[in-house]
Amino acid sequence: MSKSYDPIIRLEHVSKVYNEYGTKVLALDDISLEISRGEFVSIVGPSGCGKSTMLHCMGLLDRPSSGTIYIEGKDTSKISGKEIALFRGYRLGFVFQNYNLIPRLTVLENVMLPGLIMGKNKKDVEHRAYTLLRETGISHRADHRGIHLSGGEQQKVAIARALINNPVIVLADEPTGALDTKNSLDIMNLLSKINREKRVTFIVVSHDNNISRYGNRKILLKDGKITEDIKKKNRRKYEHT
Amino acid sequence: MDISRHLAWGEVKEHKRIYGIIIVVISLTMTSFMLENAYLNYMMQVVNDTTKIITADVIIANSDYTIRDLYGTGCELRNAGEIADRIERELPGYETSIRVTAQGTYGIGAAGEGADACSIQGIDPLDDSISDIRSKIVEGRFFKEDDPILRGHTPFYIKIRGPGSLPDFTYGTGQRLLKNEKPYPIIVGATAAKLHPSLIKVGKTLDLTISMSGRETSYAGITVKIIGLYESGTPTLDAIVWFMHVDSLREIKGYGNITGRDWYIPGVGTFRGFNPIEIDRKRGDVVLVKAPEPFYQLDPIGYSEEVKKKICSIVPNLKVFSWHDFLVYIAGSMQDVVTLMVWGSMAVTLFLCGATIKYVMDSIILRKTREIGSLKAFGARDRLIFKIFLYQGLFIGIIAGVVGIIVSVIVMNLVSWYGLSMEFIAGTQLDIGFIVNWITILVALLLPIILSVLAAAFPAKKAAGLSPVEALRKGELSL
Repeated sequence: MSKSYDPIIRLEHVSKVYNEYGTKVLALDDISLEISRGEFVSIVGPSGCGKSTMLHCMGLLDRPSSGTIYIEGKDTSKISGKEIALFRGYRLGFVFQNYNLIPRLTVLENVMLPGLIMGKNKKDVEHRAYTLLRETGISHRADHRGIHLSGGEQQKVAIARALINNPVIVLADEPTGALDTKNSLDIMNLLSKINREKRVTFIVVSHDNNISRYGNRKILLKDGKITEDIKKKNRRKYEHT
Repeated sequence: MDISRHLAWGEVKEHKRIYGIIIVVISLTMTSFMLENAYLNYMMQVVNDTTKIITADVIIANSDYTIRDLYGTGCELRNAGEIADRIERELPGYETSIRVTAQGTYGIGAAGEGADACSIQGIDPLDDSISDIRSKIVEGRFFKEDDPILRGHTPFYIKIRGPGSLPDFTYGTGQRLLKNEKPYPIIVGATAAKLHPSLIKVGKTLDLTISMSGRETSYAGITVKIIGLYESGTPTLDAIVWFMHVDSLREIKGYGNITGRDWYIPGVGTFRGFNPIEIDRKRGDVVLVKAPEPFYQLDPIGYSEEVKKKICSIVPNLKVFSWHDFLVYIAGSMQDVVTLMVWGSMAVTLFLCGATIKYVMDSIILRKTREIGSLKAFGARDRLIFKIFLYQGLFIGIIAGVVGIIVSVIVMNLVSWYGLSMEFIAGTQLDIGFIVNWITILVALLLPIILSVLAAAFPAKKAAGLSPVEALRKGELSL
């Protein structure tokens, strides 16, 4: 049984500098942060404030220019590329703004994909994929191809896919960015439900301040710096007006 | 199925149009290669078989022999019998045959016909496994026991000593048959019969002037009777190579114990009478050697060189020619040039196909950048991404190779069914046939696979090396 670490993610003086056409752009500026297991963290801020960069660094898709990121107590700067891939596959789940479903695969196959990439037994993965599709309310479209689904349905598939390997953290980059209000509401309710029931840590990045209503913690980023970090006592239900 | 293979197959299906075009081009290239190669193999087989009528696997001749002499102008090989015995003793499984050769001219003085030449090969009908002329007879018959192989007398024989340093001049036999004499039986090529229809027919007698051993200026005028026509498969050879009984040629050339009285006329020469000759079957002009059939027939030229080397080590002071030496003499390196052209044109087409595969995959990768980024986010390692694109190349190569082989087999069967043939000299027809050996199939299958895998390896490496975050940021928004 895996050891329970808390905090599950810790950022120590993390900075990220991009070199764009010879000009250095500071995307993250000395960020230090701790996120506990089971938290639902909303990272909000205007476009270009560094929130996606922060998510990518926490998701081990990108390495910080300086500072250290610890996930489950492990210093991620000291692990190899192969281990990082395994870490991403087994411990992290990703939800993207544009869903990133593979169009030629069916809904079921899309959900199964990360499990199969990690070399898990096909039958087990298939069984779990069906369970997740039921939980996300999309099992009736299991045999359809992803591109034939609506945006909201596609995002539900993407959420099921993110959960296939039982991750400890799910990182969602603008999960409602391409959806209408009703579908955004559905998706946020779904994420919130999964967070409550499965105790999976959610880190959601959005430019939409309304999203922050869902989480029990809101981090406001501006110019690569944390300007606000608010922990709420009670989760407020998202209300669309 | 392994996930990388599954995804790769999905990619191939998704891009079936462009990959389909590439597959069609590669498979047609392989079809053309297979057909050309199989036809070349067939032609080689025909030429090999017919060339071996003259040379077997290798031929041993005097040290001053040239390859031109294989047509029958050569001199006697001393100790031919001993050499043949030695080869069979030292190389078990090897067969030898002593052959006597001569060069003939016919049609001299015939009305309406030009004189023509022929190479006369003296074969032993009881030991004809090397040439196997018996099976090639298309009209008339092969030699029989009661054929007048020997005339039973020493041919009229004049030897005039050459004045000074000039060689002696020898003339044997008479052009006209004496009373009760029968002409020597001879088997002629079917092409020669087509070239000289009034002179050459089964049952017809013919006067031949024979140059028996070119370097000693020895001639004979003899009469022959055409008992059969043969077809070897190469009409060009059938126009010039004729077959006599080896003992007939021994008698004509005086290979034996010539008895009789000599009359010496001072200042003119020696005349020898009409006494019988005791044929010496150990004497001959060349020794043909047939090697055992090799276990594999992939490289017949290489095998003939191997046999030649073995024979050379036994008779280092004599000339040894392989059938390939003779083939190069009669056809030059034409076959090598054709082979080179077949391979060259295939290489150019395949190179272009490889470049197209690389270009297509490059553009696919550009479109699939975000998908690659997603796969990496889901835990896919570089190796898996590399394999997805490499497998695409593999699938293209396998399909193209298999389709190419199937199409070429269909075309070959259609050609054989239709019975295509091509015209040779004197209106002779040579069937177009194909010989497919497993190395041709292997090349037709492996070459497109190797090519497409190699062509896919470069874009695959590029895709595998993409940074996940860059891949997610770039690429198309819509997958």
